[in-house]
Amino acid sequence: MNPILNKINNIHTIWLLMIALTLFTYVFGKLGYNGLFVTLILLLTAVIKGTLIIRDFMELRDVSFLWRAIMFGWIWTVALALAITFMISL
Amino acid sequence: MTTLSTSADVSNTEPKLLPGDLAIWFFIFMELLVFAIAFLAYAIMRGQHVELFNQYQLTLNKESGAANTLLLITSSYFVIRAVHAIRNDKVKLCIRELYIALTLGTGFLILKSLEFYDKFAEGITLSTNTFYMFYLSLTMFHFFHVILGMIILSAVVIKAKQGKYSAKNHIGVETGASYWHMVDLVWIILFPLMYIIR
Repeated sequence: MNPILNKINNIHTIWLLMIALTLFTYVFGKLGYNGLFVTLILLLTAVIKGTLIIRDFMELRDVSFLWRAIMFGWIWTVALALAITFMISL
Repeated sequence: MTTLSTSADVSNTEPKLLPGDLAIWFFIFMELLVFAIAFLAYAIMRGQHVELFNQYQLTLNKESGAANTLLLITSSYFVIRAVHAIRNDKVKLCIRELYIALTLGTGFLILKSLEFYDKFAEGITLSTNTFYMFYLSLTMFHFFHVILGMIILSAVVIKAKQGKYSAKNHIGVETGASYWHMVDLVWIILFPLMYIIR
């Protein structure tokens, strides 16, 4: 297959995966699930989506370590900080 | 998740440069820092008013929030398709993909405006309570970023139509795309934090 088409196909798969993860998040909210475990799952879902955006949409997969550390560090730091804050409030 | 990689060329071990103009990345880093602080402030205040936050979170329209997430993700998908198109010298395809992305961005703005209208019609303002103060200020702050992103993408479309982008010169397309993906990235956190997690 043409590598360019292959690239588009992969982007297509990533887009579909993010759509599925968004619907997963919405269903959790709609069903009214809550608690620490649910919070962690929803934050992890957001981290996966964020990672896909940073890696494949922003195309930072192969840039130098510093830039990847800043961007992937941002999503993980935000998620961990939120998880800890929610944990304390329980 | 390596099977989902889009980086087809793995033979080159040298790190790639950041896509787009370096200046936009410093702007993106600053924006992300501001949003991170705001998210943390929301979570800390929620910790002090858990019942209030849980009560008023239920008044938010989850369907609208989810639909807006789908609109932004899909818009980002068309933006990366536009980047791939211009790298292959397909200017018309690039413009078409950017038009679709802009249409989806407009859909986001319309849905979010309707949400704001509903809240304002109920007499809700920034001073109604702490939850709404965070909800309105954070989502409006993001709303203005969407508008700015659309202005940038529109400028990219205009320059593309003038023939200023090609396979050899497309840094402007990558710059606009990077900013738009940042707007999407922020919403990826904002949606579950504001509408779902309790």
